[in-house]
Amino acid sequence: MSVHEASAAKRRTPVSRRVQMVMPSVLLAAMLVTFLVLPQFSNREPSIFNVYNAFQLWAAYGLVALGVGLTMIAREFDFGVLGVFAFCPMIAVKLGEYDTLLGFVVAIAVAAAVGFLQGFLVARLRLHSMPVTLGFYIALLGATITISNSQSVSFSNLDLGFALDADMFEILSWRSIIAIAVFALVFLVMRYTPLGRDIRAIGGDRRASRMVGVEVDRVLIIVFMTSAVCSALGGVLLAYSFATALSDPGLTPLKFAVTAAILGGVSLVGGIGSVVGIAIGALTLSLLQELFSILAAPTYVSSLVTGALLVLATIVAAPGLAARYKSFRSPRAGSTGAVAAPSRRLPDTSQ
Amino acid sequence: MTDINTITGNAASPSPARRGALQNPATVAMYAFMAVVAVLVLVGAFTTQGFLTTGNFRSILTATAFVGIMAVGSTVIMLGGSLFSVSLGMTTAVTSILFMYTLRFGLVPAVVVTLLAGTLIFTIQGAVIGSIGANPIIVTIGAGAIQEGIIGWLSPGDIVPPAGANIDFLAQPILGLPPSVYVFLAVAIVADLCMRHTRSGLEIYMLGENQPAARAAGLPVAKLTTAAFAVAGLCVAIAGILIAGFARNVNLQVQGTYTFDVIAAILVGGTAVTGGRGSVGRTVIGALIIATITDMLLLQGASTGMQILVKGLIVIVVVVLLHLARHEGRMS
Repeated sequence: MSVHEASAAKRRTPVSRRVQMVMPSVLLAAMLVTFLVLPQFSNREPSIFNVYNAFQLWAAYGLVALGVGLTMIAREFDFGVLGVFAFCPMIAVKLGEYDTLLGFVVAIAVAAAVGFLQGFLVARLRLHSMPVTLGFYIALLGATITISNSQSVSFSNLDLGFALDADMFEILSWRSIIAIAVFALVFLVMRYTPLGRDIRAIGGDRRASRMVGVEVDRVLIIVFMTSAVCSALGGVLLAYSFATALSDPGLTPLKFAVTAAILGGVSLVGGIGSVVGIAIGALTLSLLQELFSILAAPTYVSSLVTGALLVLATIVAAPGLAARYKSFRSPRAGSTGAVAAPSRRLPDTSQ
Repeated sequence: MTDINTITGNAASPSPARRGALQNPATVAMYAFMAVVAVLVLVGAFTTQGFLTTGNFRSILTATAFVGIMAVGSTVIMLGGSLFSVSLGMTTAVTSILFMYTLRFGLVPAVVVTLLAGTLIFTIQGAVIGSIGANPIIVTIGAGAIQEGIIGWLSPGDIVPPAGANIDFLAQPILGLPPSVYVFLAVAIVADLCMRHTRSGLEIYMLGENQPAARAAGLPVAKLTTAAFAVAGLCVAIAGILIAGFARNVNLQVQGTYTFDVIAAILVGGTAVTGGRGSVGRTVIGALIIATITDMLLLQGASTGMQILVKGLIVIVVVVLLHLARHEGRMS
């Protein structure tokens, strides 16, 4: 993550910005230490297999986090990832019964189409992304339940799942390697092409980006397409791995994704965040989940800890916190509009 | 900017929504769309077996009540510009479980404790969101996980049966309709009056319309946001009690799809997701539209999946059309 890029995109809250810059790495380091040390106290030993498991989880939900994180950097939000995470695996499995490759291609194409449609509506019509993508989620969930008859659908091509899950270098599998490759690709694009700069720019100040000639609409459509395709890929690979597509995967993927993105230093204020941060955030969360299973902790512990982490991270990164802190020193600064909470509004709707 | 005009309009007139109806082409377009929906529903009504019966209208109203009560409360959050709660369903389940559990101490204490708890859960979130500008989506997701954790910790997924208390009256029909319908009506009327005719209500409208302006005007932003969440939490607790009385056996599964049903009702009613424009009355209409169409699909033999699919499509279409109408109104 580059200091220059990020600070150019946003300089409203330097204190919380600095916290956000280092937070992902600190959290991951703390997580690794906890992961290695904590089980010792209950006479359990974290094994290589546990790390493999964490990466398996990371491969599925991490890709959703990448998608949601990208839309958050562009100052949008994509509930639609939940929809494609449910719908595309169902297509891949249903069509995959005839031809695995056909199922895969159609599933990813559908995701791209959904992403395009969402991006088009948000960009061209200047719609707020939340209600639109929420509608898409509900509709796609309905479609998934309809074509699956409210039943989980099993996939007869078990070999594919075994092949994808076979371990590589002890801790990885083809599935997690594919996920790493996708992360790497998106990282390279974000880092070394104008597109990455543009995505941050439209997240930071959309009107200004439009004025300096950023093709905002095109960039937004690409962001939403990437988001949908990434989550669909995560879902499809997971379905291959379990040889099952669920009729309703629930909200877990989105909760994981948002938490991972926030822990990874992405802010809903827009313009802030990096692909590496999202990867680190997702890995931290995956290790946390695996830690709970090593400790054989009840699921509520996992809920409590992730919930508390999320709220804490949000509070630390909130735009108003630094301003509040400042307003204690010079009371006028904080009370006269300096504490705007831009995350609530889409920048462009007033045009 | 139109923002300023609308704000002064809001401040001067006690009923911003009604006042705009004749002047704003956006609102006219909205009514035109509602007319189209009404025609579709009418056509459906005459072609669907068993739709035009008193019994069916009762079941539509009954189906609307729970979602409607919570949607009315959450409308206040959305009008105030704080989007919505993503863990509303979780709080519904939590309040249901709490009510069932505290019934052993008597009915009145149970009701009081549940209402307080629901209000408190939302108030804390509202305070965090309002005071430091934390993002509502993330705060409510986190708060949902914490509630899930606490419930899991206290009672590991078990059903909590009523402990000897008589709560039949909660589901006992009065004049052919369950009490939840009357509660829905009462909550909607009170909330609508408060939003239109009290200072705080109008201030919430103004806050949602333009937060920086509201702040500059010296409105207590944190307090208003907290209050909006408190109202929503109270409504969730009310619904939680009624749902407990209806379901008898409650657990975390009680939450079902309430979270998104509630948001869908508000959006289909036409309240702007960014706040400032919309009304409680619209949400009531939105909830009724969804319940009517779902009911019609049910009578036509459509599957659960199909009902959800159509609900999603309605949300998309309404959101797009409303936005187009408003956009046009602002451009001209």
